[in-house]
Amino acid sequence: MRYEIRVDGEMTETLAKAFPELDHVVMSGCTILFGLVVDEAHLYGLLARCQSFGLRVLEMRQMPE
Amino acid sequence: MAVLDDNGPDPTAERADPRGDPFLWTEFAIPDLPASFVRRDRLVRHLDEALHTPLTVVDGAAGAGKTLLVADWASACEGSVAWLTAQVTVKGCGTFWAYLLQALRRAGVALSTGIGKPTEADRVDEGLLTRLAAELSRRDRPVILVIDEYDRVTGPEIADQLEFLLRHTAQGMRLVLVTRTEPLLSLHRHRAAGAITEIRNSELAFTTREAADLLERHGLSLPADEVSALVERTRGWAAGLRLSALAARTETDPRRYLKEFEVDRSTIADFLLAEVLRRQSAETQDLLLRISILDRFCAALADELTGRCDAELLLADLHRENAFIEHLGHGWFRLHPLFREILRAHLRVRSPGLEAELHRRAAHWMRPTGPLAETLDHAAAADDWECATGALIGDLAIGELFTGLHAGTLSELFSRMGPEPRSPATHLVRAARELHQCHVERGLARLEEAGRALAGDVLDDADPEPAATRLTQAFLEALAARLTGSPGRAETAAQAVEELRHEVPGRLLDEHPELTALLSAHLGSARLWAGRFTEARSALSTVAESCPEPATAQVRAECLGHLALIDYLKGWPGRAERKASAALCTVGHCAQSPVPGAGLESLVLAAVAADRDELDRAEALLVTAVDAGGPSSDPVTRAAQAIVTGRILLARGKTQDALEAADRAVAAEVPSPWAQAHAALLASAAHLAEGRPDLAAKLLEEEPGDEPVCLVGAAQAELAAGRTDPALELLDRLRPQRGLGPAMTVRAALVRAQVAGGSGDRATQRRLVAQALREARREGLRRPLLDAGPWLRPLLTTMPLRALAEGWLIPGPPPSGTPVPSAEQPPLPMVDELSARERDVLRRLAEMMSTEEIAADLYVSVNTVKTHLKSAYRKLAVNRRYDAVHRARDLGLL
Repeated sequence: MRYEIRVDGEMTETLAKAFPELDHVVMSGCTILFGLVVDEAHLYGLLARCQSFGLRVLEMRQMPE
Repeated sequence: MAVLDDNGPDPTAERADPRGDPFLWTEFAIPDLPASFVRRDRLVRHLDEALHTPLTVVDGAAGAGKTLLVADWASACEGSVAWLTAQVTVKGCGTFWAYLLQALRRAGVALSTGIGKPTEADRVDEGLLTRLAAELSRRDRPVILVIDEYDRVTGPEIADQLEFLLRHTAQGMRLVLVTRTEPLLSLHRHRAAGAITEIRNSELAFTTREAADLLERHGLSLPADEVSALVERTRGWAAGLRLSALAARTETDPRRYLKEFEVDRSTIADFLLAEVLRRQSAETQDLLLRISILDRFCAALADELTGRCDAELLLADLHRENAFIEHLGHGWFRLHPLFREILRAHLRVRSPGLEAELHRRAAHWMRPTGPLAETLDHAAAADDWECATGALIGDLAIGELFTGLHAGTLSELFSRMGPEPRSPATHLVRAARELHQCHVERGLARLEEAGRALAGDVLDDADPEPAATRLTQAFLEALAARLTGSPGRAETAAQAVEELRHEVPGRLLDEHPELTALLSAHLGSARLWAGRFTEARSALSTVAESCPEPATAQVRAECLGHLALIDYLKGWPGRAERKASAALCTVGHCAQSPVPGAGLESLVLAAVAADRDELDRAEALLVTAVDAGGPSSDPVTRAAQAIVTGRILLARGKTQDALEAADRAVAAEVPSPWAQAHAALLASAAHLAEGRPDLAAKLLEEEPGDEPVCLVGAAQAELAAGRTDPALELLDRLRPQRGLGPAMTVRAALVRAQVAGGSGDRATQRRLVAQALREARREGLRRPLLDAGPWLRPLLTTMPLRALAEGWLIPGPPPSGTPVPSAEQPPLPMVDELSARERDVLRRLAEMMSTEEIAADLYVSVNTVKTHLKSAYRKLAVNRRYDAVHRARDLGLL
């Protein structure tokens, strides 16, 4: 499953490295994390990681393969 | 069983965890409030409603200020407040409930010791929850139970159990959950009932006034519009505001700094933390990054990680500034969870590879004194398996791999160990894991490797606990000996443990009751295998009668199961049944982690049921036992399984299958006399049932002559072959044996009765049958009488034998006290009375025998049986076998 998670604010490189399995781009006040998500457990794990870093998740969607 | 003393203090009450973890109390401590804490009255007022609703949920993002809000409110509450930080829940619901009970006791809730304790990490029995709910609901003032970090509870079972507790405690408990994510309780139902107080993220956000208050406490006073801009930027997020204040405080112009930050669009925590960190001295930065790998820390531990000795001062400064750390009391601190996460991300980027090294240092620092669980976690994170296994073995905690609350966690932790580490301790732990899963061959190989490594290692000073290592080795030897069925080896190993006992600190042995209990169980099982029942009993009953503790509950059940088997083998089904039922109660009926003797208690119950001719029940129990024990277990259990299976098959008339079951020999180093005797008896009984008495007698001749079951069986075979004198001689050899139970004496009396009948001595025969009936009736032993042969049945129709048999063996006007076919149901009309022969046929039909089997059993031709059946059908007004049996049962003819 490919997912895209849009996070409020521009993430530093350091913080982005806490999501080593995902790529990221920074654009107009947001950071988009994207890449392959293994399964639902992984997906919820990513959301929990966002929460524990104090990140605001604006949008999350599954990308067409 | 030890009796619980209600008056004295329970010696284990203070140890929720069987090991008595010295860090436990931090999970129960209400967090300290920082000096800059702002009490927000609107939230406190809302939270006060928690006193009137059973459930309260404080649900907000990381750093929203939930914990401090509830901590402030709880410390001001009157009455008992139990606080539990739910970190432990990741270790399974058994651990969770053990901690929860302890939290309640610490809060001054008087719980009786009869409530019990969870004995396994992943399981809690429902009775405990019911008893807890009952005790709590009797309180006149509710206890306030706060569970912090409830979002760590991910498994649904804890949520279900809490829901159960909530439903049944009435006014006795107020549950407050502090969580980042919505709990898995059915909140909608509580909402509909108005039985919930909810404080959510939006309500936790700081208002402009509250934010101004907070900034002032950090020495910043700003005009209202600037504060409100900051609140909007941070969306009232407590952690964001606090970090803003910390970052701006050291600026020459904090107002301009905060303005600039407002226009910046980076993620708040990340940006601010980097800013705050930048303002700290290099030493402090280094310290913060390094301690981010720890759940909790003190100055000495922090020094160990930094390699300097300034942690005490730095930590005191940091705590005064309220920057990142909370004080837990007794010189211990922890990082704010949000900051800790980000610090760890920074650590990984700034010093790649340092994390493992830090974990290693932490593990080595903790090893001599610290809690074992944390030492193991750090050592495993550092991949330092010598340290991890050394700590486990040095602490004499090897037994915890097999039983108790930590078994699952430990086993999982060590499953990550690769094949590289070659120290004796790593070999021993590998051996323990293989033996635990009953991979005997592989376990033995590992044990040998460990032995070789130890032998080459004698002069190595690196091993701080040589005695503990050798004791662990001897302990595993005992287990290996039990699993391979070599009693001599088990005795040697037990002897070695006894000698090493005095060389290890007594404290360690006291802290690990499971080790001694497991050893006795292994020794007892090995002795039982060897047929040395008295010695086996003495080893097993020391455990079975020991004080009930969570760490040993499973072992106690196992020992009770073995004791039950001894009673059964001695011919005492009633005693065996009581012990086996007690064993089942000890572990509960739920699935347990596989132990070598699992399911033995169900096997004994199945055997007793088979002796009572309750074959359906016996089969069901056999299935339960096989499920519990898994494919491989100790030889005692496997032999018991073969015997019970064979007995049930025989009773069902499947002689060929029973022969096969008897043939399935249990592999072991040393053959077991009783296992062999029972296998031979099964084979002999099968041949006897198929009409080959000579072969049956011959099979038993080869057996060692003093096994009572064999003597009785051989006597039966000799008699069937028409040789009465040898039969009586065999029975005479039984006499000197002591402690033989009714299962043996009833069979023996019946053989003698048949002999007496054969020689025409009717009076003796009747006396012996009466004796057998009396003894059998007490235990409900139907099988020996059903097996006795056709000569017995006519006798049972005459008084006084009929009175002895009625009600449990044969139907008829039952004596008072047994259930009577009720008077409301008028007996169905009967065309004609059934003849005795027709009843015999019907009775066999009810036992699912085929026409051919009935013919063989009654020594008549198949045609005769068919004639009897036809006339029975006519009299009962039916035309199918099934209906005939049912109709005959309804009429009380069977």
